[in-house]
Amino acid sequence: MSASPARATVRAEVRLSTAQLAAAADMSRARLARLVSLGLIDPPEPDTGEFTAAAAARLRRMLRLRRDLHVNLVGATIILDLLERLDRLESELVRMRRGVNQ
Amino acid sequence: MAVKFRDYYEVLGVPRTATADEIKRAYRQLARKHHPDLQPAAERTRAAERFKEINEAYEVLSDADKRARYDAVGSGYKSGTDFTPPPGSEWRTSTTAGPTEWEDAADFSDFFASLFGRPAGRGGRTRRGGRDGVQVTIPGSDVEAELPVTLQDVLHGGRRRITLEGGRNLEVDIPTGVRDGTILRLAGQGERGVGGGPPGDLFLRMRLIPDPRYRVARDDLEMDLPLWPWQAVLGGQVKIDTPDGTVTLRVPAGTQSGRRLRLRGRGLPRADGRRGDLHAVARIVVPERPSAAERAAYEALRRAAEAPTDQPARDRA
Repeated sequence: MSASPARATVRAEVRLSTAQLAAAADMSRARLARLVSLGLIDPPEPDTGEFTAAAAARLRRMLRLRRDLHVNLVGATIILDLLERLDRLESELVRMRRGVNQ
Repeated sequence: MAVKFRDYYEVLGVPRTATADEIKRAYRQLARKHHPDLQPAAERTRAAERFKEINEAYEVLSDADKRARYDAVGSGYKSGTDFTPPPGSEWRTSTTAGPTEWEDAADFSDFFASLFGRPAGRGGRTRRGGRDGVQVTIPGSDVEAELPVTLQDVLHGGRRRITLEGGRNLEVDIPTGVRDGTILRLAGQGERGVGGGPPGDLFLRMRLIPDPRYRVARDDLEMDLPLWPWQAVLGGQVKIDTPDGTVTLRVPAGTQSGRRLRLRGRGLPRADGRRGDLHAVARIVVPERPSAAERAAYEALRRAAEAPTDQPARDRA
């Protein structure tokens, strides 16, 4: 009884509606709207009203940080902003090192 | 299938005599240090493994009952040695699940399952004889990965077969118009949850493979347009390869090196359904080995030239 190889074509989302993002974050649309108005989540694109998938990744990460480490969402955004900066600086450093060695 | 003994005290770095408070403190410190979401992108996967171990250890040692059972069977074992579960434990009773199902069923190790049982999976699989099994519900982790895409994928969309950790295959449709760094979400394709918890999401970050011919600048494409000196001076029609096929481009007379000739709407697809532009950047190329006739023509040109100085001004170069 071996499992059949799971292979399916999966729809990939680049943008999410408010309802989709709320579902992805397991919260109500009202709460999502509140987080947007507090500036904790980037607002949706003005012309389409949709969020990026990157916003979903970030929001879910924030919620995990809150669940596992008991930081609040403001703290979580600060952590993620700092980590993004760190990522950028590290890739910059890699690039510069490459430049020096050439 | 041999199960290795796991020393949960070692994982948390506490002595076997640690109090509940000491265990909690050790766990919190380790969680802060090893939480996958606190790691740089490159180290997240490795941190996730470590974090799982830490959580598993805490799951057992923070619960007085589970800790007592663990201590009862575990005192004679060293970390990493083969472990034989005592009779009556979950390892023996839950034989309904084949090994393949077990491997991808949960975040907890086989060792954990051999002692405390495996929580029921999402597919309605129920655990039998769950005398004192755990009933924890943990959502599956999100997984982040990079997906190399070509300019062709950006322009026309594409389909890619990817293999996830654990050997699962997926075919992913790459929508038209992604950019380097665009993130795709594949809902529910991350790690599986434990105890009926929902699966995580898979997030794919697009990494655009540099194209040998076209450079990407936001919504626009840029390509080199090599011209012979006489084409640049006299102007004319040249055929160029665009991503949409060959087109004829009119080069105006007196085209300098670096001049950008714009082909409207032949760049990258945008969210609003329109497309950016393609810029052909003129680059004047001189013949390296002119024929005798060409050489004579250039010498005649030199005599005929009416340039005021013997060298073009810097700002014209």
